[in-house]
Amino acid sequence: METHLADFIKDTAEGREADAILRACVHCGFCNATCPTFQLLGDELDGPRGRIYLIKQLLEGRPVSEKTQCHLDRCLSCRSCETTCPSGVNYYRLLVIGRGLVEQRVPRSLAARATRLLLTEAVPRRWIFAPSVRVGRLLRACLPAKLAEKVPDIVTAKPWPRPAAHRRRMIVLAGCVQSTLTPNTNAAAARVLDRLGIALFEAPGAGCCGAMRHHLHAKAPALDDIRRVIDAWWPHLENGVEGVVMTASGCGAHVRDYGVLLRHDPAYAEKAARIAAMTRDVSEVLASEQEALSRLLRESGTDRAGRRVAFHSPCTLQHWQQIRGVVEGLLAAAGYRIVPIADAHLCCGSAGSYSISQPLLARQLRDNKLAAMTASAPDVLVTANVGCQTHLQSGGTTPVRHWIELIDERLNGVC
Amino acid sequence: MIDTLETLTENWADRVAETADRGGTLAIRGGGSKAFYGGPELGEPFDVRANRGIVAYEPTELVVTARAGTLLNDLQAALAEQGQFLPFEPPHFSDLATVGGMLATALSGPRRQAVGAVRDFVLGVKVLTGTGEILSFGGQVMKNVAGYDVSRLMAGSLGTLGLILEVSLKVLPLPAAEKSLRLTMDESGALDRLNRWAGQPLPISASAWHDGVLTLRLSGAVAAVAAAQRTLPGDALADDEATVFWSSIREQTHAFFAGDAPLWRLSLPSAAAPQALGATLIEWGGAQRWWRGGDAQAIRAAGAVVGGHATLFRATDAMKAEYGVFQPLSGPLLRIHRKLKHAFDPRGVFNPGRLYPDF
Amino acid sequence: MSLDFSTGDPRFAVDRPALIARLSVVLPADALLTVEEDLRPYECDGLTAYRCLPSLVALPENEAQVRAILRICHELRVPVVPRGTATGLSGGATPHPDAVVVSMARLKKILRVDPFSRTAVVQPGVRNLAVSEAAAPYGLYYAPDPSSQIACTIGGNVAENSGGVHCLKYGLTVHNVLRVRGLTIDGESVEFGSAALDAAGYDLLALINGSEGLLTLLTEVTVRLTPKPPLAQVVIASFADVRRAGEAVARIIAAGIIPAGLEMMDKKAIHAVEPYVKAGYNLDAEAILLCESDGTPEEVAEEIVRVVEVLDNSGASEIRVSQSEVERLRFWAGRKAAFPAVGRVTPDYLCMDGTIPRKRLADMLEAIEALSRKYALRCANVFHAGDGNLHPLIMYDANQAGELERAVAFGAEILELSVRFGGTITGEHGVGLEKIDLMAEQFASGEIAAFHRLKAAFDEDGLLNPGKGVPTLARCREYTLARAGTAPVTFVAPKS
Repeated sequence: METHLADFIKDTAEGREADAILRACVHCGFCNATCPTFQLLGDELDGPRGRIYLIKQLLEGRPVSEKTQCHLDRCLSCRSCETTCPSGVNYYRLLVIGRGLVEQRVPRSLAARATRLLLTEAVPRRWIFAPSVRVGRLLRACLPAKLAEKVPDIVTAKPWPRPAAHRRRMIVLAGCVQSTLTPNTNAAAARVLDRLGIALFEAPGAGCCGAMRHHLHAKAPALDDIRRVIDAWWPHLENGVEGVVMTASGCGAHVRDYGVLLRHDPAYAEKAARIAAMTRDVSEVLASEQEALSRLLRESGTDRAGRRVAFHSPCTLQHWQQIRGVVEGLLAAAGYRIVPIADAHLCCGSAGSYSISQPLLARQLRDNKLAAMTASAPDVLVTANVGCQTHLQSGGTTPVRHWIELIDERLNGVC
Repeated sequence: MIDTLETLTENWADRVAETADRGGTLAIRGGGSKAFYGGPELGEPFDVRANRGIVAYEPTELVVTARAGTLLNDLQAALAEQGQFLPFEPPHFSDLATVGGMLATALSGPRRQAVGAVRDFVLGVKVLTGTGEILSFGGQVMKNVAGYDVSRLMAGSLGTLGLILEVSLKVLPLPAAEKSLRLTMDESGALDRLNRWAGQPLPISASAWHDGVLTLRLSGAVAAVAAAQRTLPGDALADDEATVFWSSIREQTHAFFAGDAPLWRLSLPSAAAPQALGATLIEWGGAQRWWRGGDAQAIRAAGAVVGGHATLFRATDAMKAEYGVFQPLSGPLLRIHRKLKHAFDPRGVFNPGRLYPDF
Repeated sequence: MSLDFSTGDPRFAVDRPALIARLSVVLPADALLTVEEDLRPYECDGLTAYRCLPSLVALPENEAQVRAILRICHELRVPVVPRGTATGLSGGATPHPDAVVVSMARLKKILRVDPFSRTAVVQPGVRNLAVSEAAAPYGLYYAPDPSSQIACTIGGNVAENSGGVHCLKYGLTVHNVLRVRGLTIDGESVEFGSAALDAAGYDLLALINGSEGLLTLLTEVTVRLTPKPPLAQVVIASFADVRRAGEAVARIIAAGIIPAGLEMMDKKAIHAVEPYVKAGYNLDAEAILLCESDGTPEEVAEEIVRVVEVLDNSGASEIRVSQSEVERLRFWAGRKAAFPAVGRVTPDYLCMDGTIPRKRLADMLEAIEALSRKYALRCANVFHAGDGNLHPLIMYDANQAGELERAVAFGAEILELSVRFGGTITGEHGVGLEKIDLMAEQFASGEIAAFHRLKAAFDEDGLLNPGKGVPTLARCREYTLARAGTAPVTFVAPKS
């Protein structure tokens, strides 16, 4: 694509990067076909190709208003378009640059700023978020329906395994909202890995991975989050811990980006890169232990014709981390039958804080996803990220669970 | 020969222009094999058979170009020599049938249900318009979207848009194997089965149901035909018996077509329910249904109701005049037809009233 | 480079505020774009070299809204440019400065899939692939499969009479559409074709296919669905020189084989695609042929043996047969993604679309090689070899002054050669804006004039998609004079 970047940016590192991305786009439009918002709204401006064009205008020095801001805000950052793009356009990176510039130029309303403040300051802090959810639960009956469906049910975790003297040890991120909303996920992962001879533990003080603030453009606080996580993990990693296991694909995608995000910080760049390289999704960890896992599954004696499972692969798993078919393979190996889901590449609408900032679109996407997942009446709905899990849960009555819980149950003879 | 033919068509161009100038009309005539089809021939008879011969034929290109006056028999013989054929199996109705008449009437034979109609194989045409211009549209290649598809528009226009001089057609290799099967079945059963079979990957290339008997033809690779024969019910026909049968359907020499009762052609969605209109013969998997006699208005209505149309295929001139040959067009479509006629034959020289009485 | 319409038609003296006021009444607020910030992303389709800011963009969501837009535009003499998802490569959806671009992307309902009659009724904004996906549970699919099938719409397919990689055996769009419903420029409903196999009167359905949005605006399409063959296998043959590959194509046809698909890629195309798709193409080959066979297992086995024998006798250096459906799809994935994948090795490209007799494939490849040197631009070749349909991808850098002009001249020479070889300037992408001058290469003034009369039968005022498809006679004369040697080749439409 022909580009003429404006003077204010053309000679900056960001400008050069953006230009290279723009030049790679040949405007074929394949991306729109797999973009959730284009599929809903049918407007060029609400698909990746149009957003690239909007950002191009901005970079070429044309005036920008809340119109561009609105269309960029509507992007879920699901990166489905990147999976589709045959030209290798790094759309998300361009979007981050574009959103940053728009943020500087187009002021937001007071209400919008207040919401953002709440999201960046309260949600990542467990000591604020957890009690708020408890209060919300108490008040749910008095809340308007739209707000009430956002308040999750109380979930109690099954116990973690008793500490064992395994030689192999791995860190798992406790996370900000996961520990409150779906505490059984890490517990289940710990029990499964315990059976495989791997001790899993949460390093105290790690807190939020930083994704929430990062996606809300709170750049400095987001980087502080990362440094805090690194500080909490580093001593363990230097002390024989073999790696980091992520049970929320959203956090996983972000941690795997640590190296890039802190590349300009001399004190942390190397550590960040190493941590990113040592981080794996729990599905990848299990897949590499498939042989031992299969043996355990056989021994558990519940290897009978399985229940039918609909698995929603989070965007952060299938598009961000490009992990496809692994969870499905593990569940199939555990005797579950995976039912196909129409438009499996589409986002469920959770997308970090999207369900709060774009409630209408988020609800439509959620309802479409639930309809697709339940079309062939499966027995269980599962996913791989806390955000998707709670968002989908808010739209239906069938429980939505983390897939690791199914493996855990199979190993424990429940089916 | 080439020179003479070019001179010939140039002379024809002059004649058309001259006829137009004096407000005359021309009735284009080839072998006359399909003269019965459509409205009456009005105007000075214009015999176009002198413009004949195959212009180009390259079997590896799967394309043949022939002048309109070429005998259909001659063209098909030339193709057969190279193991190829006109897949849409055009009916002849007489040994005098020409390539031009085939295109102008756009009638297709039994294989239409599997491979497509005449128009689906037209790649290009050369026509003499009502203003005496010789124009070429389309070409000799498989894919060509330059300009409007006037070549296919000529198919079935009954000479009303211009005098067809030359046509290029896509041809195909003859199927390696063919087998016909026969079974007893009532009409609704046959329609149901035909539609279900058409939804499966079976090499059914023709079908005809009449009077409780369904005949199917399978065409394709040896293995495919053999496999389908095992899957489908029915008894195999001897090969020469099958050839005679399909020819009788195509050429309307089958007993169903005998006699003077009016012959109606109903083009319907293949899945349309049986129509209680009288004696019928069903082809094309249910999509082409023939009727003898019957209530003209009821037949016309039946066509329209299920989303198809009825043609008074063979009848007396009086009956054609009373009911019209072709299904009447909606207002906007009729307007477009008139304007298209005007675009190619502004002074109405060619075959007036042959398609619709209005133009 | 943007388009200069300064010589545009004075008939389009559009009173924009009045037009906006009228359209605002019939469209919801989010369905009418009026400011430049919103309009700019609509300035081009898949052919980015040609751009023009539209006057307005309308995003109707039903036929009633489309009709209302047309009535207003017809009354106020405002031109209309129809647009699907704008994946076209000939500039068929490039806006006109006075025009309302009518985007059909919101009319994307699949209204009915009927397995019994093997038909689907869809709105024009439905994606090609979505039709096959909806039909899949019944063992049926929609046969035409242009490479952009993931994104392109049925409405656009009808407008361009799109082909694909399987049309040698399964036909083009025109062979797979039974009926279209549309609106004339004055908002009147028309139906071409029927639910049966044919319709009374002229074959207007055939005429609408490939009419590039110049005759009517489509609002509904009934397509024919085809039973999915139980098995398909693809043979990949590598060749050490392109001439042998070209000859192999003719030999396959001569052997009486009509493959389900017969595609050819040259070395540059293979090298662009392979790193991204990892299809397993032979990087040492000068050309590869992909030859697909489908049908019953017995039929496929029979045909594959014959194909392999012909390819072997034609001097293929390596022959591989797909051993699973996954492998077959992987072999095809490279071909399907070839165009945009070339975007990985060049910032911009022009995709040509000539069709020639198959026997000239090798001659054409050699000629393109020579032209590539002449214009100092790289060119990757992707051919629908079975149909003789060429897609040379001329690579250029739009940011380098003069490169686009060179690329355009390069492309024009390829297309002129296509016509000289007995072929056509466009096999399936349409004339659009891109090839409008080259129409004079293929047609004389008599045919061009007939096209204009034909257009007037549908759209007397020339309001639908003006400036596309058919050049004015004056423009033809200019082009012919320029080509007669009195002036160097210049492309008239784009202006820096």
